[in-house]
Amino acid sequence: MATSSTTSVPAACWACNAALTDSALLCPACNKVQPGSGADYFQVFGLERRLSLDVEALEREFHRLSRRLHPDRFARASAQEQQWSLANTALLNDAYRTLRDPLQRTEYLLKLTGLKIGEENSGSGKAPDRQPPADLLEEVFELNMQLEEMRMNQKMGEDDPTLHRDLTQARTHFESLLATVDNDLTAQGAIWDSGDAAAQEKAANAMAALLDRRRYLRNLVRDVNEVLSTATV
Amino acid sequence: MAYSDKVIDHYNNPRNVGQMDKSSDEVGTGLVGAPECGDVMRLQIRVNPETQVIEEAKFKTFGCGSAIASSSLATEWVKGKTVAEALEIKNTDIVKELALPPVKIHCSVLAEDAIRAAIGDWKKKNGVAETAEAVAVAAH
Repeated sequence: MATSSTTSVPAACWACNAALTDSALLCPACNKVQPGSGADYFQVFGLERRLSLDVEALEREFHRLSRRLHPDRFARASAQEQQWSLANTALLNDAYRTLRDPLQRTEYLLKLTGLKIGEENSGSGKAPDRQPPADLLEEVFELNMQLEEMRMNQKMGEDDPTLHRDLTQARTHFESLLATVDNDLTAQGAIWDSGDAAAQEKAANAMAALLDRRRYLRNLVRDVNEVLSTATV
Repeated sequence: MAYSDKVIDHYNNPRNVGQMDKSSDEVGTGLVGAPECGDVMRLQIRVNPETQVIEEAKFKTFGCGSAIASSSLATEWVKGKTVAEALEIKNTDIVKELALPPVKIHCSVLAEDAIRAAIGDWKKKNGVAETAEAVAVAAH
């Protein structure tokens, strides 16, 4: 049978022959565990591909499914069912961990839509528009120079109060940039959820660029914190 | 993951670290980055206006060992080449020379981008007609 990896094809329960999709983890009719091989993280929870979701409802559903899929419940079932219960439990855990976090949820959704983000697309000369904007790079470079200077001063046993102040200011600045990025991500996510295909594609590209920028900013805040936490001033 | 001896050598003894006067007409500056690892790479070249030969190259990279080694090697390779010859350097050459593992290939891409960006900047300053690719890289 020809199957597509992105859509669920109708299948039948191996035990009771009830109609179900190949993304089903359990048969809705007889409750038996299913292969569930075609399920993406949204399908695991019976959700549409949307960025806005009710995290509390997600958690409740996660606990409910966890109980029903738990390998302990299949201790006396067939080897095949035991294996499906294990695999589906692992899938459920991954799905929950990914979807409950707004950033991971966004990255995952972009991946599903076929957009390359992060490592796969890094520094590619073929996609120069994905290079971070020049002003961000200059800022990052400058801050790294300051960090290096402070590290060297620390090594020589002197802490420069001016440098320390600059770094604290830089951290505040980068944290506020981060907050802006997060707001923009939320706004683009809303556009994705309610838009047509063209609007979704535009929003997806915007979100991918925002996630790149966010990673840079996160690393910077981390590095600044590292230096500041060892500073004696 | 183990770094190759060549990566370690460049990391411990980086060649041509430093900076040149950004405002000089003879100097081209390329600043590129890879957000997922937080790498930033600045590569500068000083070009002889008569011969178009790159006489000096400097870099400063904040990033992992492979990113530092890639940019260090890039400065060694562009020196003595003409601008046109330097544009022929491909990231795959850097990968081969440094024996970079697949997860670090993007560091070599970054170094190639940096060369192109530096040359693009120099061309822009000196009114040299650019290739479409160089324009794209210099634009960010």
